[in-house]
Amino acid sequence: MGVAEVFTAFGDVYLKSLLSTWLMTIVCFAGGLALGILATVLRVSPIKPLRVVGDVYVQLFRNIPTVSLLVIFVYALPYLGATLSYRTCLLACVILVVSSFASENFMSGINAIGVGQIEAARSIGLTFTQIVRLIVIPQSLRTTVLPMTNLLIATLLTTAMGSQVPLTPPELTGMVNYVNSRSVAGISAFIVSAICYAGTSVALGFLGNKLDEKVRIVR
Amino acid sequence: MSANVSMRDALYEAPGPKTRRRVAIGTGVSLVLLVALIAFVIRQFYINDQLNPKYWSFFTRWTTWRFLLRGMFGTIKVALMAGVIAMALGLLLMLGRISPNKALSAACHVAIDLFRSLPSLLLIYFFFLVIPKYGIKMPAFWMITVPVALAASGVLAEVFRAGVNAVPKGQTEAAMALGMTHGKITRKIVLPQALKIVIPSLVSQLVVVVKDTTVAYVVSYPDLMQNARVLISNYDALVSMYFVVALIYIAINYATNQFSIYLAHRQGTQVISRTSENPI
Amino acid sequence: MPTETATPVIELRHVDKHYGPLHVLQDINLSVAKGEVLVVIGPSGSGKSTMCRTINRLETIDSGEILIEGQLLPQEGKELAALRAKVGMVFQSFNLFAHKTILENVTMGPIEVLHTPKAQAEAEAMELLRRVGVDTQAAKVPAQLSGGQQQRVAIARSLAMHPTAMLFDEPTSALDPEMINEVLEVMVELAQQGMTMVVVTHEMNFARRVANRVVFMADGQIVEQNTPDEFFDHPQSQRAKDFLDSIKGH
Repeated sequence: MGVAEVFTAFGDVYLKSLLSTWLMTIVCFAGGLALGILATVLRVSPIKPLRVVGDVYVQLFRNIPTVSLLVIFVYALPYLGATLSYRTCLLACVILVVSSFASENFMSGINAIGVGQIEAARSIGLTFTQIVRLIVIPQSLRTTVLPMTNLLIATLLTTAMGSQVPLTPPELTGMVNYVNSRSVAGISAFIVSAICYAGTSVALGFLGNKLDEKVRIVR
Repeated sequence: MSANVSMRDALYEAPGPKTRRRVAIGTGVSLVLLVALIAFVIRQFYINDQLNPKYWSFFTRWTTWRFLLRGMFGTIKVALMAGVIAMALGLLLMLGRISPNKALSAACHVAIDLFRSLPSLLLIYFFFLVIPKYGIKMPAFWMITVPVALAASGVLAEVFRAGVNAVPKGQTEAAMALGMTHGKITRKIVLPQALKIVIPSLVSQLVVVVKDTTVAYVVSYPDLMQNARVLISNYDALVSMYFVVALIYIAINYATNQFSIYLAHRQGTQVISRTSENPI
Repeated sequence: MPTETATPVIELRHVDKHYGPLHVLQDINLSVAKGEVLVVIGPSGSGKSTMCRTINRLETIDSGEILIEGQLLPQEGKELAALRAKVGMVFQSFNLFAHKTILENVTMGPIEVLHTPKAQAEAEAMELLRRVGVDTQAAKVPAQLSGGQQQRVAIARSLAMHPTAMLFDEPTSALDPEMINEVLEVMVELAQQGMTMVVVTHEMNFARRVANRVVFMADGQIVEQNTPDEFFDHPQSQRAKDFLDSIKGH
C-alpha cells in the first residue's frame, strides 16, 4: 500500500487524528501554561512553604517519564478512588509535565530581568503590584517566546503518549498501529504521520521565530 | 550590595513590620493546607486499603530489588548505548551541517529538523511495526535503542552546534591566519573546545533519553518499567509498585540533572537547553 | 532651634548598618538643605553608595532614622512608594526599562504613579528629553542608545516625577570617558536651577564646580565635611589627604 492508497482508505480517520493531535496539543499547552504560571507564583512567593511546594512540584514533574505518570493515572488512581477517562488521564499527565517545564521557562525569564530594573521601578514610586504588572510579567513573557515555542513543539510530540491508551480517534502515532492492524500499509502510514508531525513542528517553529523577532528585548 | 541575590528574592523589598506579619500568617496558613493535603492523600490510600502491608512488605525482600535492579540495569544499558549512538550521529550531522558543502549541509539540516520533530514513540513503532513487515528481524534491545538514539541525535546535533558557536571567533581567525584548512581548524581548534563546552548539556540530555526508554515494554524489552509490570502481576500490588518505580525514575533523572548543573557550574559554562532542544 | 531654619529635605540621624560582620554605615548623621548640592566622595567600599541607597530605602538600615522633608521614611507599602516618587534616583548602570521605548521610560512614572493624562505626560516627557538632548531618540529602545544618552534619559525619567530631591549613585562610573561630560553638563544645569542633590561620584572637578558641600567617607564613617574649596585645598584628616593624593596620581 502506498501513501496515496493510505490516504484514500484512511483519509477520514487521518484527518480526525491530525485534528485530535492538534487539539490535544493546544489544550495541553494552554493547561500547562496556566498551571506553570501557578507553580511559578508559588515559587517566587515570599512564603517559604509555598516556595518549597512549587520547587518540589516542578522537580517531580520535570523528572518523571510521562509513561510512568500515565500508568499511575490510568491504572493506579482507580484503586485510590478516582477513575478518569483515558483521554482525561492523558491530558492531565501531559499538562502536569508541560507545566513543570513552563514554570522553568518562566523562572529563567524572571531571572533574566535583572535587579536594576526592579530597583529603577521602585525608585520612581511604583508599588509591588505595579512592578509585577508593568515590568516582571511583560519582560519575562517576551524573553520566553523561543523556549515556549520549543515547549509547544515538545507538547505536540508528547501527545504521542496517547498511543499507549485506547483513544477514538487515535492520535497520529496511534494511527500507525491502527492502520497496520487493518491493512498491510507498511511504511506508508508511518510516512503520513511523520509528515504531519514534521509539518506542524516546522510551522510552529517558524511562527515562534517570527514572534520572537518582534518582541525580543535587546539588553 | 545586591549582587548574589537571586531574582526571586530581589522581587521583594526588605520587609517592614506589616509585611513580616503577613508573611508569618501566610506561612502558617500554607503549612496547615499542606498538612491537610498530605493527610488527604494518606487517607485516600488508607480507606482504599492501599496501606495494607501486603502491598508493601515485598519491598523488604532482596529478590524484589534484585529484579528491579536488573530492570534498571536494562534501562541504563539502553540509555547509555542510545546516548553513545546519538552522540556519534549528532556530531556527524552537526559537522555535515556546518560543512562548506552546500548539498551536504542542506541534507543534514533536513535530517536534524526531522529527527527533532518526530516523537520517539513514532520511531519506535517504525522499528517495531513497520520494519518487521519487510522481513527484517531485530532484537528487542535494538528496537528500543535505535529509535531513541535517532530521536536524540537531532537534538544533540543542535547542542553540538551551539557548542561550536560558543567557541570564540578569534580562535578560528587565528587558525586561518596560520593557513589551516576548514577541516583542520574544525578538528584541531574548534571541536575540542566545543566538546568541552557541551559536556554538561550532553549529561542533561541523558534525562530525555532515559525518559524515552520507559516505553521499552512496547517491544518487550526488560527495562525497569517492564520488570515492574512483571512484579505487579506476581504480587498483585499495582499502586505501590507504580509509585515506587516513578520515584526511582525521578531520583535517577533528578540526580542526572543536578550532576549536569554541577559540571556546568564547575567549568563556568551553561547547560544548553530549551532554546535549542525539546525539553521533554 | 531657631524657627527660621527650614526643615532639611533629607536628614539622616545615627544611621547604622551591617552586612554580616561588616559595619558598613557607622553612626551617620547628615542633613541636606533645600537647593543644596552635596557631593559624597571616598574610596570604594567606604559605604558612600550604600548611604545614598538608604535614602529611598533601596537598602534598609539597622538603626537610626531617615527623614524626608521632616517625615520619617516609611518602611513599606504605598507610603514608601509615594515617598520614593518624590525622591529621584539615578543609577550607575542607568537601569532603563529594557522593554519600553525612551518615551515610555519617561512617561511610565507620571502615568502610573501621578495619574497624569497620557497626552500631557508625553508632552512633558518630550520637553524633558529635549532638555537633556535626546528628544530625537524618543521612539528607540534603550539598547539602541549610547551609555551617555541612556544616562541622560534616566535623569529625565527621574525629573518627570517632579522630585523634591535627586540621588545620583556614581552616575558616570559606567560611562566611556568621552560620554562623561555630556551627563555632567546636565547635572550642572540641574544644580544651577536649584535642585536638591546628593551625588556620589569620583568626578572631583564636578565636585569643585557645583558642590555646596563635600562629604568624605571612609570605612562606613563620615570622616570630614566641608566646602569644596576648603576640603580640596586643606583637607583636615590623614585619610582625606591620602585619598586626594591617590587621585592626583592618576
